[in-house]
Amino acid sequence: MKPLPVTVTVCAVLVISIAAQNPVCLAGSVVAASALLWSATPPRRPYVIFALISGATVFILNPFVGVQGLTVLWQGPQIPIVDTQITLEEVVFGAGAGARLVASALAAAAFVRLADPDLLLTAVSRVAPRSGMIVSLATRMLPVLERDAAGLVLAARTRAGRLGTPRGAGGLLAPLVGMSLERSLEMAEAMEARGYGGPGRTRIPERKARAGERLVLALGALALAAAVVAVARGATSFQYYDTLGDPFVASAWLATAATTLPVCAAAGVIRWTR
Amino acid sequence: MDALRFESVSYHYPGDGRPALDDVDLSVEAGQFVLLVGGSGSGKSTLLRAAAGLVPHFHGGRLEGRVTAEGMDTRDHDPRQIARVAGLVFQDPERQLVMRRARREVAFGLENLGYPAAEIAARAEEAMMVTGASRLAERPVERLSGGEQQRIAIASILAMGHRLLLLDEPTSQLDPVAAEELLGLIVRINRDRGVTVVLAEHRTGRLFAEADRVIQLEAGAVIVDDPPAVAAAAMALRSRWLLPPVAQAFAAAGRSPLPLSVREARRLVPHPAPPPVGTTVRAEPAVAIEHGHKMLGEVSALRDATAGFAAGRVTAMVGENGAGKTTLALALCGLLDLDRGRVRRAGRAGYVSQNPAHYLLHETVADEVAYGLRNLGVAGAEETRRVAAELRRFDLDELAGRHPRDLSSGERQRLAIATVTVMRPDLLVLDEPTRGVDGRRKHELAGLTRELADDGAGVVVVTHDMDFAADVADEVTTLAAGRVLTDRGPRSVLATSQFFVSQVGLALGVASVAEASRMLEAVDTDPVNA
Repeated sequence: MKPLPVTVTVCAVLVISIAAQNPVCLAGSVVAASALLWSATPPRRPYVIFALISGATVFILNPFVGVQGLTVLWQGPQIPIVDTQITLEEVVFGAGAGARLVASALAAAAFVRLADPDLLLTAVSRVAPRSGMIVSLATRMLPVLERDAAGLVLAARTRAGRLGTPRGAGGLLAPLVGMSLERSLEMAEAMEARGYGGPGRTRIPERKARAGERLVLALGALALAAAVVAVARGATSFQYYDTLGDPFVASAWLATAATTLPVCAAAGVIRWTR
Repeated sequence: MDALRFESVSYHYPGDGRPALDDVDLSVEAGQFVLLVGGSGSGKSTLLRAAAGLVPHFHGGRLEGRVTAEGMDTRDHDPRQIARVAGLVFQDPERQLVMRRARREVAFGLENLGYPAAEIAARAEEAMMVTGASRLAERPVERLSGGEQQRIAIASILAMGHRLLLLDEPTSQLDPVAAEELLGLIVRINRDRGVTVVLAEHRTGRLFAEADRVIQLEAGAVIVDDPPAVAAAAMALRSRWLLPPVAQAFAAAGRSPLPLSVREARRLVPHPAPPPVGTTVRAEPAVAIEHGHKMLGEVSALRDATAGFAAGRVTAMVGENGAGKTTLALALCGLLDLDRGRVRRAGRAGYVSQNPAHYLLHETVADEVAYGLRNLGVAGAEETRRVAAELRRFDLDELAGRHPRDLSSGERQRLAIATVTVMRPDLLVLDEPTRGVDGRRKHELAGLTRELADDGAGVVVVTHDMDFAADVADEVTTLAAGRVLTDRGPRSVLATSQFFVSQVGLALGVASVAEASRMLEAVDTDPVNA
């Protein structure tokens, strides 16, 4: 898919997931980001696992590092540095922060899986040639990492490696990172050897946007506009401390519907036309 | 004007006390075809990188002397500028592919050089056509086989229409037919269009006779720089393993002059041995696949594959790129489930893939070898003894404390095999074990493979290197389009088949260099002395 429709649609999700405070809006952004990733071709599971683990970590840790809120749920023993007084407000804030991270990670994953990396590199190299290399590395990194990981797993299996245990699987992480670093250097070298970054770059003629892409662009633009207006007018705000506000206000429902529904519709179009 | 000139060039990689290039002086005239030979780590790749300006601009380090490519001094011009006159194909195609779609990849360099849009499309199409890559145009590059990726990498350089082509083992992943086609294409471009070619290669079979000059590097220094016949005579004395297999056979038999091609060998020995009569030993197979089917995505990788592989014997598995060799190998080792059919195997299987980096998980070489044993519950003195023995067997004992990622490519390859063989598998599958391995190491690897089979293991070698297969194999299994064409055919296949045949097989009717030299010692037909 052309990068522009994907960028606009993903931006709509990111505006809400980053700027909104209201849990209803944040939950909506998780739904919208999930729908976008669902519309992409597999593999999707590793991205979902990564997003859920990141979000869960924030959710679990937040009550132990925050020292706010008046509704005490549990009072633990005194431990230096760690806050053992858990409040309802800290738990809800942690859930909101976790949802924010999950939505952002899923939206980023959807972007990587949906935007055509070749067209993206071409687009970026027009305005920032050095960044083009980063884009190329980033967009190819995940499929290549996936292949490297599969190779490492295969090699470990033939050596009777116990990959079912966290320690066994974790042992593959360092080599995987090492391989990806080696690979990024080699790709940068290959790009320079073929003249990337020099002046006067041209490009192969691009195909015109398809009807589906134009529709996704329109839906994404609608969602982005709604998200910006909602955030600017305070429709997505919420009070976590000292006591929780009411998340289920009409303006929050309206902002959520105005951003989530067009993004979900765009995801449906992508899935249907891919 | 010289197309390429090195004037007293020495180069050290950052932090390396030994020179990667040592006082190199050479000039390559426009339109010449230069073959660059030497062992692993002799400096061939560094020389090509220096010619493209990547050394020192990209790698850093210290460069002394002067390199000019098509008149551009690499001290004053960076690789982006030199890319306008010189094209470099790297050793490993997967690591040089930038774009996702093959067509885009071929167009990438042309876009960088600012070609008009219409010309980019035409040049890209033409380059893909001549390299046999047209059918791959819309496929994602990460889903292509190694050979297919190599075609794309070469097409992307040919499309740029350089006057100077620098090629680092361009056929290392191609099947014999594709390699032959590609080398023919490169020779044609050189002869017909006057493009200067500097090509580094371990498999010199076809190239020696085609080159105008042969340059041998050793420890970064040029030690031979002569026309092929003169260079061959010099190398026969001290580095015979760099010669084409037919020349190796003649040199081993003490005969002179040395033929550099199949045609010359036939002229020198007009009545070679009759093709050997093939005998198949029908031993009970240690592993067998019966009516195996496997789909990979939309590609039928295995179709009704039936084959058996005996214990104590080495089987070469050959076939074109994408024939299903690796799929079959994985299925035999139990690392891939079949859609239909079954694999019968007694005992443990070990698989060494095409990429030795996948076997490097630990901090030291010794730990790496011990990993498999520990997983099997072998510990203490037994573990120490077996690790030490395996390190000795693969000539890695002095590197036991080194980090595996600090090893050279040849050392990594041996380590990867050692990490599997230490577990004493009943079936060992080596997938393209000679990729990037020089002739001497290849010969050693053949000896080790033989030793493993003599110890009782069934050994399957998946390879495109017919000369290596001829050195090592007892039997041959040929695959095409996912089907097993010949199951456990005798090794005489390598001397007599139409395509999957070694160079000495073509010339002298026997499969390996050793057999050929024995035959030559026995044959007294010598037109030179007659």
